Amino acid sequence: MTERREHSREAVIEALHGVAAEMHDRMSKGESPTMSLPVRTKKNIQFDKRLGVYKYGRKRTVRDASSLGSARQLLRALHIIEFIEEMIESGKSSTLREMYYISEGWGNGKFGSQNESNNLAEDLEIVTRCLREDFRLRPEEDGSRIIGNMTFNELNRRGEWMRINARDDVGDSGYGVPYNVEAEKIELVEHDVDFIMAIETGGMFDRLVENGFDEDFRAGLIHLKGQPARSTRRIIKRMNEEWNLPVVVFLDGDPWSFRIYASIAYGAIKTAHISEYLATPSADYLGITADDIGAYDLPSDDLSPKDIEALKAELTDPRFSDGRWQQWI
Amino acid sequence: MAASEPGPRMQQASISEFFEKNKHFLGFDSLTRSIITAVKEAVDNSLDACEEARIPPVINIEIRRVQGRKDELILTAQDNGPGIPYASIDKAFGRLLFGSRFHTISQTRGQQGIGITGVVLYSQLTTGKHTHIISKVAEEGVAVHVDIGIDTKRNRALKSNHRRDVWLDEHGIDIPHGVMIEARMKARYQKGSKSVHQYLRMTSIVNPHAAISFRMLDEDGRVIEQASWPAVTEKLPAPVKEIQPHPHGVEIGTLQRMLRDSEQRRLSAFLQKNFSRVPSARAQQICEIAEISDKASPKRLKGEQVRALQAAFKRVKLMAPPTDCLSPIEDLLIKKGLAKAIDSKFVTTITRDPCVANGNPFQVEVGLLSGTDMPSDSPIEVLRFANRVPLMYQQGGCLLTKVIESVDWRRYGLEHPGGRGIPKGPVAILIHLASTHVQFTSEAKEAVSENEVVFDELRRALLEVGRSLKSHKRKSTQRAKAREKFELINDILPEIAAKASQILGREVPELTPVITKIMKAVFIEDEFTWDADEKRTQVNLVLFNYTARPRSYTLLAKWPERDGVEIVDDSHEGRREVYGLRKWKLDTLESGESVTLRFAITGLEKDEWTETEVFFRGAGDIIGATRLDEKMLDQMRREEEAGLLQITEPEFEEAIEAFTGVAERAQEADEVGAPEELDVEDEDDEEAVRQTTLEDGWGGGE
Ligand SMILES: Nc1ncnc2c1ncn2[C@@H]1O[C@H](COP(=O)(O)OP(=O)(O)OP(=O)(O)O)[C@@H](O)[C@H]1O
Ligand SMILES: [Mg+2]
Repeated sequence: MTERREHSREAVIEALHGVAAEMHDRMSKGESPTMSLPVRTKKNIQFDKRLGVYKYGRKRTVRDASSLGSARQLLRALHIIEFIEEMIESGKSSTLREMYYISEGWGNGKFGSQNESNNLAEDLEIVTRCLREDFRLRPEEDGSRIIGNMTFNELNRRGEWMRINARDDVGDSGYGVPYNVEAEKIELVEHDVDFIMAIETGGMFDRLVENGFDEDFRAGLIHLKGQPARSTRRIIKRMNEEWNLPVVVFLDGDPWSFRIYASIAYGAIKTAHISEYLATPSADYLGITADDIGAYDLPSDDLSPKDIEALKAELTDPRFSDGRWQQWI
Repeated sequence: MAASEPGPRMQQASISEFFEKNKHFLGFDSLTRSIITAVKEAVDNSLDACEEARIPPVINIEIRRVQGRKDELILTAQDNGPGIPYASIDKAFGRLLFGSRFHTISQTRGQQGIGITGVVLYSQLTTGKHTHIISKVAEEGVAVHVDIGIDTKRNRALKSNHRRDVWLDEHGIDIPHGVMIEARMKARYQKGSKSVHQYLRMTSIVNPHAAISFRMLDEDGRVIEQASWPAVTEKLPAPVKEIQPHPHGVEIGTLQRMLRDSEQRRLSAFLQKNFSRVPSARAQQICEIAEISDKASPKRLKGEQVRALQAAFKRVKLMAPPTDCLSPIEDLLIKKGLAKAIDSKFVTTITRDPCVANGNPFQVEVGLLSGTDMPSDSPIEVLRFANRVPLMYQQGGCLLTKVIESVDWRRYGLEHPGGRGIPKGPVAILIHLASTHVQFTSEAKEAVSENEVVFDELRRALLEVGRSLKSHKRKSTQRAKAREKFELINDILPEIAAKASQILGREVPELTPVITKIMKAVFIEDEFTWDADEKRTQVNLVLFNYTARPRSYTLLAKWPERDGVEIVDDSHEGRREVYGLRKWKLDTLESGESVTLRFAITGLEKDEWTETEVFFRGAGDIIGATRLDEKMLDQMRREEEAGLLQITEPEFEEAIEAFTGVAERAQEADEVGAPEELDVEDEDDEEAVRQTTLEDGWGGGE
């Protein structure tokens, strides 16, 4: 079972200082400051046979101060490091959005958009081999919803463990998964289901809940909300490993569905540094494929130019290099 | 020529018929156009009157929708001109084609339309209302208030409600002189490229000395559109001189009329007295070629004799007509005029020297600006003018447009698909054609007709502004790049060093070597500021050596050298290298150091000079400057010494362009395609025209 690596406060700070030290050392030698990290695009992900997921390959990029843009990135990274260190020392945490707003006060180190700040936080995760939980940075993406006869223990805000059954103790909206789903926050207690079904759209999730699918078919239902959040993927992985439950992913069958499936089963490009914690290689694809549309003469919408673009991008994505995927796409 | 004139022999009831028949080229053929024409007639008159009286014009135009009446507008036009004496009011406003400027040859706005009487008549024909006039001349104590209509049977003014009374402005103060016209007419107000607003905006651009304001009111008195364009100069256009027609430019109809009205009894005297550039020997020669006796009576020539005479004109060599009768707007004022109507980040203008085409003096002026908030994906705005009059219709069929289309603007950094049609981009191009005789494609006077000489001259002017645009674009990209680098090393890098050191608790590293590693180049920055107290342009050139080695350079900068313009307070005691080029030899600049070259230029106006080109001699490139081509310089020096060269700014630019072209092209490897073809065109054309025999009239407008 993949246990999350524990990082002590000291270890996290030391790792972050390593980033600052790389810059300082270079400058002391009269060179441009740098920060090196793996290339984070589909060109640099490769299958890790041992882990059964896609991870970043060996391509690295070096960010230096030769252009204004990349020099700004270095300065921003230093500001984030300082910010995290302060949070660790004062025992606080904040959301990625809060950090973005706080960065308004960082002068030349402020971010142009939240996307930029999120990305840089991820860069730091990758370089330091820490997780953003170690950095005390929370995503604001609300976690997904779970329904089915499964019981969780969650440490609530008052520091008490609460026992929640995702069928009996919740309303129709289900059990809301918190952003941190690690053992220190959530325990998987017991279950009485045969499999986990992850569902792409809210409409489909609600219909299945309404029809009592979870009870009739002894299923644990989890709503993905489009491209699934890290916590969603992580809890699917934990249910799969700790409860030994098979996972099926129920998708719409459009070009975007392929990516959603890939991020669950193979690992997402943006988080390939932690694929082994997030991906569930045994997850099965459930839903319509292009073949089905032809074979069963199903009604279909025409592809939009955006869809076509997405498909083209997928053709060169190593995760879809398999002959079957290539043909479907 | 103008509309068939309603002469004395005309049928009496035909004034309104005449109007009805000719309304398409009188500008009253549609409801939307009628209001523009009415405004135009009023504004033209106001500008002409003010110019003649040497009064800086202040013109207010107001248009109001009439309550409860569809398509009815009231136009109020007021000026601060000299006014019209009471005795002339009925003639000025109540008689068709009573202009003060028939039979004269000069560059005036007039001759365009039917005049203000057309407005009076149009109002009357469409609404039955008379036009209310207030006029005040300085010499009289009180103003005249009067309603004017037209007795269409007799082509005479009908005056009513006449009274003498004070004329007060909205503050209750006596208005010393001016004219106000209030006319009610069937018309429709619309916005857009063919609107009163656009007409006034264009008019204000080419009349920087005029203050024009405009208000459009809804029927309930609500202001729905308004604008005002202040005067940006006190300088009034030079008074236009009237000249006699030149034989090479005269048309058969005009010639006939001149012969009919002749005061001379002999043909040869007639020719000498009524035409410019016809001395007696030439008059003799003309008569000989036409096979008409030089003693023939001008009044009695027959039709074929008149044609023979006109043909003979074209077969004799004559001196070109004088060109000092033209009144260009002049480049600086075009710049100011454009600046008051359009927000821009770059304006370049050029006034070419006067030329002659087929006996008609003309002069072209061109302005190009790149706007701050103009759409970048639509065609550029084309602003056409003939003798300071905006041309708003028939853009496609106009010579002025065709010249723009003939240039491949891709070479000058504009988007121009296929190099055809009007280029695209956030740019406006102004073209002004000043001439004693602008040839239009039709009597509606909406589009200038083709003429090779004018075409070539205009094209040269456009290429010139195109080159300035390109050089400006190149400089701005270079400058933007340099700015970024400076921000990087001055702000970001020190912060990186400080923050990293603070996080680690270490000492801040010394950054100079880091900076030279990052920059690896020598930069130059220029800075232009206007010193309002001293009335001079302050220029700072800052040179930074961000390489690891010491560098030494001689810098050279272009400046607008001419009489009355001087360089003062020069920090490095520069010397004149050649006409318009100054040189400074700088001490060796150590690695990581910078030096600032300061000087000021007097004798120029604000915004007249805001960009220079810097050249250098010395090893290693300078970002922001161009290596000097020594061969070009030698050549220029020799010619200047020999006194051969009276270099004008544009020629100098062309020379520089030609000689530095190679170096530039290397620098711009990433810029667009076609190799810079040398646009230095044959400057002899003009000379060729001055002494020539002409085959056909300009444009052949008939
Ligand atoms: N606002 C004014 N101030 C002073 N004089 C004016 C004004 N408006 C008209 N006039 C006088 O009335 C005359 C007639 O004007 P009108 O517009 O009919 O003819 P024009 O301007 O001479 O030529 P065009 O027919 O081309 O307009 C002018 O020539 C001028 O002398
Ligand atoms: Mg007039």
